[in-house]
Amino acid sequence: MLKRKIDWDAYILIAPAFILFAGVMLYSAFFTLRLSFSSWKGLGPIKNVGLKNYITLFKDPNFLRSLRVTVLWSLCSTFFSVLFGWLIALLAGLNPNRSNIFRLAIFMAYGIPAAASGIMLLGIFQTDLGLLNGILDSIGLSQWTNPWLGDKRTAIWVLITCFVWIQTGLPLLTCYAAIRGIPVQLFEASYIDGAGPRDIFRFLMIPFSLPGVQVSIFINLLNSLKSFDIIYVMTGGGPLRSTETIGFFMYQETVSFFKLGYGSASVVVMTLFVCLLSIPVLKERSKAI
Amino acid sequence: MTMYKQSKWPLVVLAALALIWVLPIIGILFMSVRPESEITQGWWKLSPFTFTLEAWREVWLKYELLPAFLTSAILAISSTVLTVVFSASAAYAYEFLNFYGKRASLVLYVASYVMPQQVLLIPMLMLWRSIGLLDNPLSCIIPFVGSGFAWSIFMLKSYLRDFPRELLEAAKIDGAGNISTFRHIFLPNAGTPVAAVSILQFMWTWNSLLLPLMFLRKNVPLPVLLSRIQGTYEPNWDLKAVAVIITAFVPLLLFIYFQKHFSAGSTLGSGGKG
Repeated sequence: MLKRKIDWDAYILIAPAFILFAGVMLYSAFFTLRLSFSSWKGLGPIKNVGLKNYITLFKDPNFLRSLRVTVLWSLCSTFFSVLFGWLIALLAGLNPNRSNIFRLAIFMAYGIPAAASGIMLLGIFQTDLGLLNGILDSIGLSQWTNPWLGDKRTAIWVLITCFVWIQTGLPLLTCYAAIRGIPVQLFEASYIDGAGPRDIFRFLMIPFSLPGVQVSIFINLLNSLKSFDIIYVMTGGGPLRSTETIGFFMYQETVSFFKLGYGSASVVVMTLFVCLLSIPVLKERSKAI
Repeated sequence: MTMYKQSKWPLVVLAALALIWVLPIIGILFMSVRPESEITQGWWKLSPFTFTLEAWREVWLKYELLPAFLTSAILAISSTVLTVVFSASAAYAYEFLNFYGKRASLVLYVASYVMPQQVLLIPMLMLWRSIGLLDNPLSCIIPFVGSGFAWSIFMLKSYLRDFPRELLEAAKIDGAGNISTFRHIFLPNAGTPVAAVSILQFMWTWNSLLLPLMFLRKNVPLPVLLSRIQGTYEPNWDLKAVAVIITAFVPLLLFIYFQKHFSAGSTLGSGGKG
């Protein structure tokens, strides 16, 4: 076969994007990696300290706690948001014609800036003027009221609940799209074969919705690992650093304590985490290229 | 058109769930139109109910809401325009042209999609500090655009598989070069994918908190202003509620209006929020 000729002007078309991308992303990736082996405080020459930051990191109780919090936070928020989104999509699939407004109401939370939704959710979980304590008071369960976000035991669970509130929209969207994509002929064929509504649900809607579940698990997991905004606005990592995920720990160490090398090392660990989880998807996408 | 019998009970369950989901939104709307004294009694209590727009008048004087709104608009609009133009030209080259390093550079873009935003913080902060770009809108626009390519090029390219190639062939026969074909034939006909990328990028930049929090001090966008208000333990919930609504309504309207683009975007794995 004849080899296609090279379009040299293609380089003019890709250059602006590639220069900006390399200047921001590649530069940052390399610089962060470089700093993670140093004890830089932002001034003077960068001094190498080898693996010292990484060793300190895995002895630092604050970092180890943030690792545990990250695992709990990511797994729980992803599991529940995908489960709810999937079930709601199936419900909506049972009655698609009139479910639009309800789906939109649930999906909407995904489009609100996290800084704004954090404050909205305080209207539910605040100690003195939140709805939750208000309801408990009015039904005579005053002894159950709690400073939900100020209590070390409950704060992380409240945050997870809030994040589920935000993230359920995406699996709902992908699963619903998958269900609506079932070809009509399949429904016709099943009716001719004598399938009832239960069979349709079980053998058509559930299996066809699964690709939507798969995509949303990946996206929600990535979102939860990277998340920062909602934690920053609602608890600021507290009380007693009990709601710090790795993404937040990094911010704390670099911004509040200005330990740039140390913070960089924690970003590298975080990125490795994310990469490990993303291998299957990246493989699939590289095939598409 | 639907081939199965539609029953009522799923609707009832859905309605109940939807109500739970909108409660925080209803809460913030209530707080914004009630006097502070009633909010502290509980925003959900219906009597006494005094309707007032006092907070809506006062909030502009109390917080720098209008400048923040303008900053948000500048950041979001300029990042979106730059991202769309440059990623459209790149995606065009990746889909229709042939050049060295094509596959390798595309893999690089796709792989960097998983890189968390936190990676950018320290290097960019140091860079802006040394060249004096801190507090300049560019300090956020550049990283917004640079990191946007990680998903926008791949997403556009996937749309382009269905682009009518005859149009491009015809232009070529008429003697148009690649770049003028891109400008005069391709761009005017790529409405849908370009719209989808614009909306995702606009919302992502409007909503983002971390980078402007680090790089901007004086002129901050809305999410940063909100987090500052929250950080000072502002006791006036009515004012806070109005600020929340003003921050949220632009992306929310876009989001509701362009829902369909999100389903397209999300199946390509780009529904990411920082």
